[in-house]
Amino acid sequence: MLSRQSLGRGAQRVIKRQCCVQLGRRGLATPASGSFQYQTGEANGVKFASRDLPGPTATLALVSKTGTRFEPAPGLTEALEKFAFTATERRSTLRIVRESELLGGEISANHSRENLVLGAKFLRDDLPYYVELLAEVAYRTKYENYILNEEVIPTIQKAHKKFLANVSELAINSAHGVAFHRGLGVPLYPASSTPTSKYITLENVQNFANSAFSKPNFAIVANGADQSELSKWVGEFFSDIPASGKAIESQQQKYYGGEERIAHGSGSAMVIAFSGSSSPTGGFYKPEIQVLASILGGKSSIKWSSGFSVLGKQSASSPGLSVDTKSLIYSDAGLLATTLQGPAEYIAKAAVDVVSTLKSIAGGDLNTELFKKAKAHAKFQELEFGQNVKSGLELTGSGLIQGGKAYQIDETAKAIDAVTESQVKTAAKQLLESKASVSSVGDLHQLPFAEELGLTV
Amino acid sequence: MSQPSLAKFVIKRPWLHNWLKPLSQWYADSAGYRKLGLRADDLIPEENETVLLAMKRLSPKEQYDRVFRMRRAFQCSIQHQLLPEAEQTKPEEDVPYLTPLIKQIEAEMAEREDLDNIVITKPKVAKS
Repeated sequence: MLSRQSLGRGAQRVIKRQCCVQLGRRGLATPASGSFQYQTGEANGVKFASRDLPGPTATLALVSKTGTRFEPAPGLTEALEKFAFTATERRSTLRIVRESELLGGEISANHSRENLVLGAKFLRDDLPYYVELLAEVAYRTKYENYILNEEVIPTIQKAHKKFLANVSELAINSAHGVAFHRGLGVPLYPASSTPTSKYITLENVQNFANSAFSKPNFAIVANGADQSELSKWVGEFFSDIPASGKAIESQQQKYYGGEERIAHGSGSAMVIAFSGSSSPTGGFYKPEIQVLASILGGKSSIKWSSGFSVLGKQSASSPGLSVDTKSLIYSDAGLLATTLQGPAEYIAKAAVDVVSTLKSIAGGDLNTELFKKAKAHAKFQELEFGQNVKSGLELTGSGLIQGGKAYQIDETAKAIDAVTESQVKTAAKQLLESKASVSSVGDLHQLPFAEELGLTV
Repeated sequence: MSQPSLAKFVIKRPWLHNWLKPLSQWYADSAGYRKLGLRADDLIPEENETVLLAMKRLSPKEQYDRVFRMRRAFQCSIQHQLLPEAEQTKPEEDVPYLTPLIKQIEAEMAEREDLDNIVITKPKVAKS
């Protein structure tokens, strides 16, 4: 028999736990400490946003609107990325690296379809050093032929080889190509057969750099830095920059759709994509697309389970097949893309499932419980994505450049909360009525054509 | 692989410069490489990493010209002839085109060496 005392203790514990749970259910928009919202400002004509997250480290990024979408010739964005943090007029490549090592910081450069991100992570006190470094990289990088030949082009060629060996990357890039043609359709890494040596010349790189780092085309975003301090240092170090420079123009991206098939020797991948949602800072934000992506899903977020998503359950019986549905968002357009990778025969089977699932959702067959799970999942993913400092930096930066608006994740979470079942059903119906972008890479004998799946391309 | 040179020391002192200049011109001329159409920088031994890298950093035109001068000089040497007066290197053409690159590479390497042997001391005065 249980003693009274032990019962009492158990009860107490339960009560305590309940309290904890309630505490844990604090509204998402009200974090415990620090400011979750980005504060925006302008110093010396340079846009910046900062979020004073409490903690000993800080992250700083220069986001420039020079992703592959805006490059005037293939490979220039990549060249610019590789040129970042190489020798400047004041310091050599090695010195930049060693100095950063001494401070314990990290520096990185990467590009996406829309942005080039030069980033640094460091201890809070080193903010002035890194703001100065970014300013130096932006305005004082030595664009020299020998650096291009010795450091930049070899690394670009390696990236091409890596890209060509990766079937899912190839497929997703080809899907973008058929969906958007130019602009967003330009592959992230040009394949090695594109005549990049014709386009990656010092003059082109330098011209592109000039426009990349002129005031209207970039923004500084910081996490864990005080707004006034950041404003002060940005104002100081970005003061001697040439004010000239036109804003890089972006035309409204048009969605085309179509099909592309590429034979490949190592592995198979297939991407089935539809016109999706733009980023929340863009004009075509459709939160229901994100929920739909979660319903289709494919990847489990829970261990030892195929997850709740429809495709996840269906692909559980296909060993070696990985399915993932993502809503890829860009500033003014987006793609809802399902990537299938694995043995070609399973891909062929799963591709049929993707279309039939979409059709059944469009027909009104949507489980309420599934919808709730998907909504929660989409919301979690969105918030986690926004909270993830790296992705948040880029989104905020591009939002600032394009619309002068920072990306605020709590608003996005609210938008996802407001999605209804009928919205998702209509979204699915619209997707099926519009043109799809299908791209298959690998064993073309087994991979199905879009026509066979019942999609219009 | 740049040679030790007193040039800086001399150039700083105009009187010495004026006095030595004709002497150096006479010396360079009598060294004979100009009569084979070469430049002084063509004589730098190239069998080491630094010079090889410096040669790679030359522009394609400079690389081509360098090879052309050398082949012409070999040809003359084999035939035991000098180039006609008009084709010989003029003193004003005899400019260092490779030395600056070599110096730049040497500076890079010296910097690497220095940074590898860096001794770090904590600043004694705390930042206010």
